[in-house]
Amino acid sequence: MGLDVEMKTAEPAAAPSPLIHLKAAIALIEKGVAKKEMRLMARAIRQMLAVRRRLKASTVSSFLNYALPSGSEALSRLLGFVAKVELGDASMEVDTPPSMAQSSQLSYKQSVLPELESFSYLLVIIFLIDQKHLEDAKVCSSAAIKRLQQFNRRTLDVLAARLYFYYSLSYERTDSLADIRGTLLALHRTATLRHDELGQETLLNLLLRNYLHYNLYDQAEKLRSKTLRSDSHSNQQLCRYLYYLGKIRTIQLEYTDAKECLLQAARKAPSSARGFRIQCTKWAAIVRLLLGEIPERTTFMQQGMRKALLPYFELTNAVRIGDLELFRAVADKNASVFYADKTHNLIVRLRHNVIRTGLRNISISYSRISLRDVASKLHLDSATAVADAESIVTKAIRDGGIDASVDHSKGWMQSKETGDIYSTQEPQQAFHSRIAFCLNTHNEAVKALRFPPDAHKKELESAEKRRERQQQELELAKHIAEEDDDEF
Amino acid sequence: MEEKLHDIRQTFQKFKAAYATNSFDTCSNLLSQLKVKLTELPGLPPLFKPSPTAVQELLLARDIFEHAVVLSVKMEDQDAFERHFLQLKSYYTDTRGLISPSEQEYPILGLNLLRLLVQNRIAEFHTELELLPPEAHENPCIKHAVELEQSFMEGAYNRVLSARQAVPHETYVYFMDLLAKTVRDEIAGCSEKAYDSLSVADAKKILMFSSDRELQGYVIEDHPNWEIRGSSVYFQKVKDLAPCKEIPSLQLINQTLGYARELERIV
Repeated sequence: MGLDVEMKTAEPAAAPSPLIHLKAAIALIEKGVAKKEMRLMARAIRQMLAVRRRLKASTVSSFLNYALPSGSEALSRLLGFVAKVELGDASMEVDTPPSMAQSSQLSYKQSVLPELESFSYLLVIIFLIDQKHLEDAKVCSSAAIKRLQQFNRRTLDVLAARLYFYYSLSYERTDSLADIRGTLLALHRTATLRHDELGQETLLNLLLRNYLHYNLYDQAEKLRSKTLRSDSHSNQQLCRYLYYLGKIRTIQLEYTDAKECLLQAARKAPSSARGFRIQCTKWAAIVRLLLGEIPERTTFMQQGMRKALLPYFELTNAVRIGDLELFRAVADKNASVFYADKTHNLIVRLRHNVIRTGLRNISISYSRISLRDVASKLHLDSATAVADAESIVTKAIRDGGIDASVDHSKGWMQSKETGDIYSTQEPQQAFHSRIAFCLNTHNEAVKALRFPPDAHKKELESAEKRRERQQQELELAKHIAEEDDDEF
Repeated sequence: MEEKLHDIRQTFQKFKAAYATNSFDTCSNLLSQLKVKLTELPGLPPLFKPSPTAVQELLLARDIFEHAVVLSVKMEDQDAFERHFLQLKSYYTDTRGLISPSEQEYPILGLNLLRLLVQNRIAEFHTELELLPPEAHENPCIKHAVELEQSFMEGAYNRVLSARQAVPHETYVYFMDLLAKTVRDEIAGCSEKAYDSLSVADAKKILMFSSDRELQGYVIEDHPNWEIRGSSVYFQKVKDLAPCKEIPSLQLINQTLGYARELERIV
């Protein structure tokens, strides 16, 4: 809290220099290491990310000169990367004093905390990725990972998790994900041995992402089922995990599980993660269609997601009407979008649902209709349309999709009277599912309140303040008890 | 290395000769010998040691396994098919950069998809499908399997049966026969719910029997609750439920107790 106030006063005073933010981040890290506080590390990273967009090569190099002792290997390597970017930018920017000339900020430190070193690596990698120097980012992140493996400090865990993420990201952007699979698996093993739970979680998600990128659903499922998972330390990682799990379940035809996972992921994701939420919503919409329920219009009309979700909205429309022609047209029109989203195979599976919905509409509207008319209404165009229609209808009857009977000799389908639905179990079941859902949400909310969650800063503050207050009370109590109090 | 390759090639020639004459026992023996000899070559998965003969080794090994797969289809041994196919799969996926693609690849992949469909392992069918690149879907063998699965899901069983005439490869015939049997069971199940009665002629046509005798045999064996009276088959309808239906009291009690427990927890 105090630090934030400092920031606000510093900003109007001087030009809001990213360098000041970064130096404050260093102070946080040092404090965190001294007190062994993970949360301060996370805060330092968050501060750095806040100035991410405004970083320039000169800022980064002056920060590096300040943070790392001169002459260290890390410093020279990192400065090398930054210098390459500068050479690229030199023609564009007006005043970029070459980094070497800035001697005023040289650090007086002799040795450096490994945390600070990792932090600097992290900063440079993020900077390189933002500047689109992806090959350099790849090399830099591999060097960072090698360096990390030499340490075994718990205080490094938060920074290490971030580094793994950017390592994987740089390889993904250069399309060489398969290369790092072995490394990620080894890192995961090490993290498990050291009980580094945040690292375990992050690495598991990265591995799943790796497998799913290449459509290796089988292997992803094998990995996931064999890994032990503890309680989640990070909301973002939990969301990612739920999303990957939802995808795997969809492909394996377990639609109910998949729907739950995907909807949860979309709900828990922070509202700024729009792209992620769009993806979750897309997959959730398709899973709901495959389950036979039509998602409401409002899911497609959410703020900022409307354009991206438009193909899926049209698809839902076609399924709702039950018109095979329209469905085919929509699928063909948006084929490129579906291929990019890897949902194409799922859309193909939807054809069956379109027919089922169409059939249901027909059976409700007509008390008796000839099979030939059914075939023409469903747009089943093949040489044996009537026989097709007959078999489809009989299968639908057996699956309980429609309530009817077929008369083969006369060639028609006769719908049964739908009895009074209130006298059956249906209302009770519907109520039960809603009640269970509400109670579940309540329980989860209560559970989330108990532990200090990472996502909300305010809660963070109050947990810290509470501890400080408790510490003060303890001291006061000791003082009052008039013991010999030699504070250590 | 060279002599080993040569040795393997000779055994393979013998295998192909035996295969052409359909003497399956000799084939299986020779196949086991071949498999043992293949373990001595270092260029094969999982080692993939690069050597001047590596490409030849890979090509030869892949050829051998492809023949093994087709042999297991002919011998109607589904487990052997699965084993050989799994070994073959690593050749297809991992050696993509090293050797040129085989022309048997798509027919064999289609065959595997068909096998999964017949064994009703639909989840694996779809995971396998995901692994295929988009252009693979244009290939007739793969398209055949995909369309078959769709027709099966939709319930257009007559399309499934007519597809049997249009197999893209003669090795598919075995699985299509198995599929026909599954389809027949499915049709019987659907018909009994949907129709009140069917004339014997129609029942024969729908269930694809060629004579009354076969139909009768099938009914007696698999569906004893059907009746053949005169010239019609009567499906036993489920008796109408008595007016006072049984209340699922246990379930209701459980649910209500659950609600009470949760409500108590609300502080």
